[in-house]
Amino acid sequence: MNGPKILFKIPVLGGIPVTETIVNMWVIMAIIVAVCIFLTRNLEVKPTKKRQVIAEKLVGMLYNLVEDTMGPGHKKFVPYIGALFTMSICGSLSSLFGVRPYTADLSVTLGWALVTFCMVQFTSIKTKGVGGWLKGFLEPVPFLLPLNLVSEVANPISIAFRHFGNIAAGMVITSLLYGALASLSAFVLGFIPNAFINSIPIFQLGIPAVLSIYFDLFTSFLQAYIISMLTMVYVAGAGEA
Amino acid sequence: MEEFLAFVTIDVWTLIFTWGNLIILFLLMKKFLFKPINNILEKRKNEIDEMYESAQNSKSDAEKLLEDYTEKLKNVNEEAEDILKTAKKRAEGKSEEIVSEAKKEAQVILSRAEREVALEKSRAQEELLKEVSGLATTMASKILEKDISEEDHKEMIDKFISEIGDGDDK
Repeated sequence: MNGPKILFKIPVLGGIPVTETIVNMWVIMAIIVAVCIFLTRNLEVKPTKKRQVIAEKLVGMLYNLVEDTMGPGHKKFVPYIGALFTMSICGSLSSLFGVRPYTADLSVTLGWALVTFCMVQFTSIKTKGVGGWLKGFLEPVPFLLPLNLVSEVANPISIAFRHFGNIAAGMVITSLLYGALASLSAFVLGFIPNAFINSIPIFQLGIPAVLSIYFDLFTSFLQAYIISMLTMVYVAGAGEA
Repeated sequence: MEEFLAFVTIDVWTLIFTWGNLIILFLLMKKFLFKPINNILEKRKNEIDEMYESAQNSKSDAEKLLEDYTEKLKNVNEEAEDILKTAKKRAEGKSEEIVSEAKKEAQVILSRAEREVALEKSRAQEELLKEVSGLATTMASKILEKDISEEDHKEMIDKFISEIGDGDDK
Protein backbone atom coordinates (compact mmCIF):
# COMPACT_ATOMS: atom_id res chain seq x y z
CA MET A 1 0.00 0.00 0.00
CA ASN A 2 1.41 3.30 -1.06
CA GLY A 3 1.16 6.65 0.61
CA PRO A 4 -0.29 9.62 -1.24
CA LYS A 5 0.92 10.08 -4.75
CA ILE A 6 3.04 13.10 -5.54
CA LEU A 7 1.17 14.74 -8.39
CA PHE A 8 3.60 17.56 -9.15
CA LYS A 9 6.24 19.71 -7.60
CA ILE A 10 6.18 23.43 -7.25
CA PRO A 11 9.64 24.43 -8.49
CA VAL A 12 10.63 26.63 -5.58
CA LEU A 13 12.73 25.87 -2.52
CA GLY A 14 14.08 22.78 -4.19
CA GLY A 15 10.67 21.57 -5.30
CA ILE A 16 7.64 21.54 -3.02
CA PRO A 17 5.86 18.23 -3.52
CA VAL A 18 2.11 18.56 -4.02
CA THR A 19 0.51 15.26 -3.22
CA GLU A 20 -2.87 13.73 -3.93
CA THR A 21 -3.77 14.66 -0.38
CA ILE A 22 -3.37 18.37 -1.01
CA VAL A 23 -5.16 18.40 -4.33
CA ASN A 24 -8.09 16.38 -2.97
CA MET A 25 -8.27 18.78 -0.09
CA TRP A 26 -8.47 21.73 -2.43
CA VAL A 27 -11.23 20.14 -4.44
CA ILE A 28 -13.24 19.29 -1.35
CA MET A 29 -12.68 22.73 0.14
CA ALA A 30 -13.99 24.26 -3.06
CA ILE A 31 -17.07 22.05 -2.83
CA ILE A 32 -17.62 22.93 0.82
CA VAL A 33 -17.33 26.65 0.14
CA ALA A 34 -19.63 26.35 -2.85
CA VAL A 35 -22.21 24.56 -0.71
CA CYS A 36 -21.89 27.22 1.98
CA ILE A 37 -22.41 29.97 -0.57
CA PHE A 38 -25.37 28.13 -2.05
CA LEU A 39 -26.97 27.56 1.33
CA THR A 40 -26.64 31.16 2.44
CA ARG A 41 -27.69 32.85 -0.76
CA ASN A 42 -30.59 35.30 -0.45
CA LEU A 43 -31.17 34.79 3.20
CA GLU A 44 -34.47 36.11 4.47
CA VAL A 45 -35.66 37.07 7.89
CA LYS A 46 -38.72 34.94 7.26
CA PRO A 47 -37.23 31.83 5.67
CA THR A 48 -39.14 30.54 2.69
CA LYS A 49 -36.46 28.32 1.19
CA LYS A 50 -35.58 24.90 2.45
CA ARG A 51 -31.86 25.49 2.06
CA GLN A 52 -31.92 28.40 4.46
CA VAL A 53 -33.69 26.28 7.04
CA ILE A 54 -31.08 23.58 6.57
CA ALA A 55 -28.21 26.05 6.90
CA GLU A 56 -29.72 27.59 10.01
CA LYS A 57 -30.32 24.17 11.49
CA LEU A 58 -26.73 23.08 10.86
CA VAL A 59 -25.26 26.23 12.33
CA GLY A 60 -27.64 26.04 15.27
CA MET A 61 -26.69 22.43 15.94
CA LEU A 62 -23.03 23.34 15.88
CA TYR A 63 -23.58 26.20 18.30
CA ASN A 64 -25.50 23.91 20.61
CA LEU A 65 -22.82 21.25 20.43
CA VAL A 66 -20.06 23.71 21.24
CA GLU A 67 -22.06 25.25 24.07
CA ASP A 68 -22.96 21.86 25.52
CA THR A 69 -19.36 20.68 25.41
CA MET A 70 -17.39 23.79 26.24
CA GLY A 71 -19.92 25.68 28.27
CA PRO A 72 -21.20 29.18 27.50
CA GLY A 73 -18.85 31.92 26.37
CA HIS A 74 -16.95 29.90 23.78
CA LYS A 75 -18.89 31.03 20.73
CA LYS A 76 -15.74 32.23 18.98
CA PHE A 77 -14.61 28.62 18.61
CA VAL A 78 -17.69 27.63 16.66
CA PRO A 79 -16.41 28.52 13.16
CA TYR A 80 -13.12 26.73 13.78
CA ILE A 81 -14.84 23.61 15.11
CA GLY A 82 -17.23 23.79 12.18
CA ALA A 83 -14.38 24.04 9.70
CA LEU A 84 -12.48 21.19 11.36
CA PHE A 85 -15.54 18.95 11.51
CA THR A 86 -16.54 19.65 7.92
CA MET A 87 -13.00 19.19 6.66
CA SER A 88 -12.64 15.91 8.50
CA ILE A 89 -15.96 14.41 7.55
CA CYS A 90 -15.85 15.46 3.91
CA GLY A 91 -12.29 14.16 3.60
CA SER A 92 -13.17 10.82 5.07
CA LEU A 93 -16.38 10.49 3.09
CA SER A 94 -14.59 11.27 -0.16
CA SER A 95 -13.43 7.64 -0.07
CA LEU A 96 -17.00 6.75 -1.03
CA PHE A 97 -16.32 8.32 -4.41
CA GLY A 98 -13.14 6.34 -4.91
CA VAL A 99 -10.95 9.29 -4.02
CA ARG A 100 -8.06 8.74 -1.70
CA PRO A 101 -9.27 10.27 1.57
CA TYR A 102 -6.86 12.93 2.76
CA THR A 103 -7.59 12.00 6.35
CA ALA A 104 -5.70 8.78 5.60
CA ASP A 105 -2.57 10.93 5.53
CA LEU A 106 -0.86 11.25 8.89
CA SER A 107 0.50 14.68 8.02
CA VAL A 108 -3.03 16.03 7.75
CA THR A 109 -4.40 14.66 11.00
CA LEU A 110 -1.19 15.58 12.78
CA GLY A 111 -1.53 19.08 11.42
CA TRP A 112 -5.03 19.36 12.90
CA ALA A 113 -3.90 17.81 16.17
CA LEU A 114 -1.05 20.30 16.41
CA VAL A 115 -3.49 23.17 15.91
CA THR A 116 -5.51 21.77 18.80
CA PHE A 117 -2.31 21.45 20.84
CA CYS A 118 -1.36 25.06 20.17
CA MET A 119 -4.87 26.24 21.02
CA VAL A 120 -4.75 24.34 24.29
CA GLN A 121 -1.39 25.81 25.28
CA PHE A 122 -2.40 29.29 24.19
CA THR A 123 -5.69 29.13 26.11
CA SER A 124 -3.86 27.82 29.14
CA ILE A 125 -1.35 30.67 29.06
CA LYS A 126 -4.13 33.17 28.50
CA THR A 127 -6.15 32.05 31.51
CA LYS A 128 -3.35 31.19 33.94
CA GLY A 129 -0.53 33.43 32.76
CA VAL A 130 2.89 32.15 31.75
CA GLY A 131 3.85 31.43 35.35
CA GLY A 132 0.63 29.58 36.04
CA TRP A 133 0.96 27.64 32.82
CA LEU A 134 4.51 26.52 33.65
CA LYS A 135 3.54 25.77 37.24
CA GLY A 136 0.75 23.58 35.94
CA PHE A 137 3.35 21.05 34.82
CA LEU A 138 4.63 20.73 38.40
CA GLU A 139 1.27 19.82 39.82
CA PRO A 140 0.15 18.04 41.86
CA VAL A 141 3.78 17.21 42.88
CA PRO A 142 6.93 18.43 41.11
CA PHE A 143 8.40 15.02 40.37
CA LEU A 144 5.45 14.32 38.06
CA LEU A 145 6.85 16.89 35.61
CA PRO A 146 8.03 14.29 33.08
CA LEU A 147 4.67 12.56 33.18
CA ASN A 148 2.83 15.84 32.72
CA LEU A 149 5.01 16.72 29.75
CA VAL A 150 4.45 13.31 28.22
CA SER A 151 0.70 13.50 28.68
CA GLU A 152 0.64 16.98 27.16
CA VAL A 153 2.60 15.83 24.12
CA ALA A 154 0.67 12.58 23.91
CA ASN A 155 -2.62 14.40 23.34
CA PRO A 156 -1.96 15.61 19.78
CA ILE A 157 -0.20 12.38 18.89
CA SER A 158 -3.10 10.27 20.06
CA ILE A 159 -5.60 12.50 18.27
CA ALA A 160 -3.59 12.39 15.06
CA PHE A 161 -2.98 8.66 15.06
CA ARG A 162 -6.52 7.79 16.04
CA HIS A 163 -8.01 9.64 13.14
CA PHE A 164 -5.35 8.63 10.67
CA GLY A 165 -5.40 4.99 11.78
CA ASN A 166 -9.14 4.61 11.51
CA ILE A 167 -9.46 6.05 8.04
CA ALA A 168 -6.25 4.50 6.70
CA ALA A 169 -7.20 1.11 8.06
CA GLY A 170 -10.61 1.42 6.47
CA MET A 171 -8.97 2.29 3.19
CA VAL A 172 -6.57 -0.65 3.46
CA ILE A 173 -9.29 -3.10 4.34
CA THR A 174 -11.50 -1.83 1.55
CA SER A 175 -8.74 -2.17 -1.00
CA LEU A 176 -7.83 -5.62 0.33
CA LEU A 177 -11.43 -6.62 0.03
CA TYR A 178 -11.60 -5.32 -3.50
CA GLY A 179 -8.49 -7.34 -4.32
CA ALA A 180 -9.88 -10.45 -2.72
CA LEU A 181 -13.19 -10.10 -4.47
CA ALA A 182 -11.43 -9.61 -7.79
CA SER A 183 -9.51 -12.83 -7.23
CA LEU A 184 -12.72 -14.60 -6.27
CA SER A 185 -14.43 -13.34 -9.39
CA ALA A 186 -11.53 -14.48 -11.54
CA PHE A 187 -11.64 -17.87 -9.87
CA VAL A 188 -15.39 -18.35 -10.28
CA LEU A 189 -15.51 -17.02 -13.81
CA GLY A 190 -12.30 -18.83 -14.71
CA PHE A 191 -14.25 -21.76 -16.04
CA ILE A 192 -15.60 -19.67 -18.87
CA PRO A 193 -13.07 -19.64 -21.67
CA ASN A 194 -13.29 -15.96 -22.46
CA ALA A 195 -10.63 -13.46 -21.41
CA PHE A 196 -13.07 -10.53 -21.27
CA ILE A 197 -15.59 -12.30 -19.07
CA ASN A 198 -12.77 -13.56 -16.88
CA SER A 199 -11.69 -9.99 -16.22
CA ILE A 200 -15.09 -8.83 -14.92
CA PRO A 201 -14.77 -8.53 -11.11
CA ILE A 202 -18.39 -9.46 -10.58
CA PHE A 203 -18.20 -9.84 -6.80
CA GLN A 204 -16.91 -6.32 -6.41
CA LEU A 205 -20.45 -5.20 -7.11
CA GLY A 206 -22.45 -4.68 -3.94
CA ILE A 207 -20.47 -6.69 -1.44
CA PRO A 208 -17.95 -3.97 -0.50
CA ALA A 209 -20.82 -1.60 0.18
CA VAL A 210 -21.71 -3.58 3.30
CA LEU A 211 -18.28 -3.08 4.80
CA SER A 212 -18.18 0.44 3.46
CA ILE A 213 -21.08 1.36 5.71
CA TYR A 214 -18.84 0.73 8.68
CA PHE A 215 -15.38 1.65 7.40
CA ASP A 216 -16.34 4.69 5.38
CA LEU A 217 -19.61 6.07 6.68
CA PHE A 218 -19.52 5.16 10.34
CA THR A 219 -15.83 5.80 10.99
CA SER A 220 -15.99 9.03 9.03
CA PHE A 221 -18.70 10.44 11.22
CA LEU A 222 -17.20 9.00 14.36
CA GLN A 223 -13.69 10.31 13.77
CA ALA A 224 -14.91 13.74 12.71
CA TYR A 225 -17.01 13.86 15.87
CA ILE A 226 -14.13 12.62 18.03
CA ILE A 227 -11.54 15.08 16.74
CA SER A 228 -13.93 18.02 17.14
CA MET A 229 -15.05 16.81 20.55
CA LEU A 230 -11.50 16.29 21.83
CA THR A 231 -10.47 19.69 20.57
CA MET A 232 -13.38 21.29 22.38
CA VAL A 233 -12.81 19.32 25.57
CA TYR A 234 -9.09 20.02 25.74
CA VAL A 235 -9.47 23.71 24.95
CA ALA A 236 -12.32 24.12 27.40
CA GLY A 237 -10.28 22.23 30.02
CA ALA A 238 -7.34 24.56 29.48
CA GLY A 239 -9.68 27.54 29.78
CA GLU A 240 -10.69 26.60 33.30
CA ALA A 241 -8.68 28.50 35.83
CA MET B 1 7.74 7.68 -12.99
CA GLU B 2 5.08 8.06 -10.27
CA GLU B 3 6.36 9.02 -6.92
CA PHE B 4 4.65 8.14 -3.70
CA LEU B 5 5.15 9.20 -0.14
CA ALA B 6 5.46 6.51 2.48
CA PHE B 7 2.16 5.22 3.87
CA VAL B 8 2.94 6.38 7.39
CA THR B 9 5.05 9.47 7.28
CA ILE B 10 5.10 13.06 8.34
CA ASP B 11 5.59 15.24 5.33
CA VAL B 12 6.39 18.80 6.34
CA TRP B 13 4.95 20.33 3.20
CA THR B 14 1.70 18.44 3.56
CA LEU B 15 1.58 19.62 7.15
CA ILE B 16 2.05 23.23 6.09
CA PHE B 17 -0.52 22.91 3.34
CA THR B 18 -2.93 21.37 5.82
CA TRP B 19 -2.57 24.29 8.17
CA GLY B 20 -3.00 26.74 5.34
CA ASN B 21 -6.02 24.93 4.04
CA LEU B 22 -7.60 24.69 7.47
CA ILE B 23 -7.14 28.41 8.05
CA ILE B 24 -8.49 29.20 4.59
CA LEU B 25 -11.52 26.97 5.08
CA PHE B 26 -12.05 28.44 8.53
CA LEU B 27 -12.06 31.96 7.12
CA LEU B 28 -14.21 31.08 4.13
CA MET B 29 -16.78 29.21 6.20
CA LYS B 30 -16.86 32.06 8.64
CA LYS B 31 -17.48 34.50 5.83
CA PHE B 32 -19.90 32.44 3.78
CA LEU B 33 -21.74 30.39 6.37
CA PHE B 34 -21.47 31.58 9.94
CA LYS B 35 -21.55 35.30 9.42
CA PRO B 36 -24.59 35.43 7.13
CA ILE B 37 -26.51 32.95 9.24
CA ASN B 38 -25.69 34.79 12.44
CA ASN B 39 -26.61 38.07 10.81
CA ILE B 40 -29.95 36.78 9.71
CA LEU B 41 -30.61 35.22 13.11
CA GLU B 42 -29.70 38.49 14.79
CA LYS B 43 -31.98 40.36 12.43
CA ARG B 44 -34.81 37.95 13.09
CA LYS B 45 -34.29 38.27 16.81
CA ASN B 46 -34.41 42.05 16.58
CA GLU B 47 -37.52 41.91 14.47
CA ILE B 48 -39.22 39.56 16.89
CA ASP B 49 -38.19 41.75 19.80
CA GLU B 50 -39.65 44.74 18.03
CA MET B 51 -42.84 42.87 17.33
CA TYR B 52 -43.10 41.84 20.95
CA GLU B 53 -42.51 45.38 22.05
CA SER B 54 -45.11 46.80 19.71
CA ALA B 55 -47.55 44.08 20.70
CA GLN B 56 -46.92 44.92 24.33
CA ASN B 57 -47.43 48.59 23.58
CA SER B 58 -50.63 47.92 21.70
CA LYS B 59 -51.86 45.77 24.51
CA SER B 60 -51.16 48.36 27.16
CA ASP B 61 -52.72 51.04 24.96
CA ALA B 62 -55.80 48.93 24.51
CA GLU B 63 -55.98 48.29 28.22
CA LYS B 64 -55.67 51.97 28.94
CA LEU B 65 -58.36 52.76 26.40
CA LEU B 66 -60.61 50.13 27.89
CA GLU B 67 -60.09 51.58 31.32
CA ASP B 68 -60.77 55.07 30.03
CA TYR B 69 -63.91 54.02 28.29
CA THR B 70 -65.17 52.06 31.25
CA GLU B 71 -64.55 55.08 33.41
CA LYS B 72 -66.25 57.33 30.90
CA LEU B 73 -69.18 54.98 30.54
CA LYS B 74 -69.61 54.93 34.28
CA ASN B 75 -69.48 58.71 34.31
CA VAL B 76 -71.96 58.86 31.48
CA ASN B 77 -74.37 56.68 33.38
CA GLU B 78 -73.99 58.80 36.43
CA GLU B 79 -74.40 61.94 34.40
CA ALA B 80 -77.48 60.61 32.70
CA GLU B 81 -78.94 59.70 36.05
CA ASP B 82 -78.11 63.13 37.32
CA ILE B 83 -79.66 64.79 34.35
CA LEU B 84 -82.73 62.67 34.68
CA LYS B 85 -82.98 63.39 38.37
CA THR B 86 -82.59 67.11 37.93
CA ALA B 87 -85.04 67.11 35.08
CA LYS B 88 -87.50 65.22 37.16
CA LYS B 89 -86.98 67.53 40.06
CA ARG B 90 -87.34 70.53 37.88
CA ALA B 91 -90.45 69.14 36.27
CA GLU B 92 -91.91 68.36 39.64
CA GLY B 93 -91.05 71.80 40.87
CA LYS B 94 -92.57 73.35 37.81
CA SER B 95 -95.74 71.35 38.06
CA GLU B 96 -96.06 72.19 41.70
CA GLU B 97 -95.49 75.79 40.90
CA ILE B 98 -98.09 75.69 38.18
CA VAL B 99 -100.57 73.98 40.42
CA SER B 100 -99.97 76.37 43.26
CA GLU B 101 -100.18 79.32 40.94
CA ALA B 102 -103.38 77.97 39.55
CA LYS B 103 -104.67 77.49 43.04
CA LYS B 104 -103.63 80.97 43.93
CA GLU B 105 -105.28 82.37 40.86
CA ALA B 106 -108.37 80.38 41.56
CA GLN B 107 -108.28 81.74 45.07
CA VAL B 108 -107.95 85.24 43.71
CA ILE B 109 -110.77 84.73 41.28
CA LEU B 110 -112.91 83.22 43.98
CA SER B 111 -112.24 85.99 46.42
CA ARG B 112 -112.89 88.59 43.78
CA ALA B 113 -116.11 86.90 42.89
CA GLU B 114 -117.07 86.79 46.55
CA ARG B 115 -116.18 90.39 46.90
CA GLU B 116 -118.27 91.29 43.86
CA VAL B 117 -121.15 89.25 45.15
CA ALA B 118 -120.90 91.01 48.49
CA LEU B 119 -120.70 94.37 46.73
CA GLU B 120 -123.67 93.58 44.56
CA LYS B 121 -125.59 92.44 47.56
CA SER B 122 -124.86 95.59 49.51
CA ARG B 123 -125.66 97.69 46.48
CA ALA B 124 -128.95 95.87 46.03
CA GLN B 125 -129.76 96.36 49.67
CA GLU B 126 -128.96 100.00 49.38
CA GLU B 127 -131.14 100.33 46.30
CA LEU B 128 -133.91 98.45 47.97
CA LEU B 129 -133.65 100.69 50.92
CA LYS B 130 -133.71 103.76 48.69
CA GLU B 131 -136.72 102.40 46.82
CA VAL B 132 -138.53 101.54 49.95
CA SER B 133 -137.83 104.95 51.40
CA GLY B 134 -138.97 106.56 48.09
CA LEU B 135 -142.11 104.44 48.17
CA ALA B 136 -142.83 105.36 51.66
CA THR B 137 -142.43 109.04 50.83
CA THR B 138 -144.67 108.67 47.82
CA MET B 139 -147.22 106.75 49.80
CA ALA B 140 -147.16 109.36 52.51
CA SER B 141 -147.62 112.21 50.03
CA LYS B 142 -150.42 110.29 48.38
CA ILE B 143 -152.11 109.66 51.67
CA LEU B 144 -151.82 113.32 52.46
CA GLU B 145 -153.66 114.25 49.23
CA LYS B 146 -157.30 113.81 50.49
CA ASP B 147 -159.16 114.96 47.48
CA ILE B 148 -158.76 111.80 45.65
CA SER B 149 -161.74 110.03 44.13
CA GLU B 150 -162.67 106.49 44.67
CA GLU B 151 -161.64 105.71 41.26
CA ASP B 152 -158.41 107.50 41.49
CA HIS B 153 -157.75 105.75 44.70
CA LYS B 154 -158.22 102.41 43.17
CA GLU B 155 -156.10 103.32 40.24
CA MET B 156 -153.39 104.66 42.51
CA ILE B 157 -153.32 101.47 44.53
CA ASP B 158 -153.09 99.42 41.38
CA LYS B 159 -150.27 101.62 40.16
CA PHE B 160 -148.55 101.35 43.46
CA ILE B 161 -148.85 97.64 43.43
CA SER B 162 -147.53 97.48 39.89
CA GLU B 163 -144.79 99.90 40.85
CA ILE B 164 -143.83 97.70 43.77
CA GLY B 165 -143.90 94.75 41.45
CA ASP B 166 -141.65 96.67 39.14
CA GLY B 167 -139.36 97.49 42.04
CA ASP B 168 -139.27 93.91 43.04
CA ASP B 169 -138.48 92.90 39.53
CA LYS B 170 -135.54 95.22 39.48
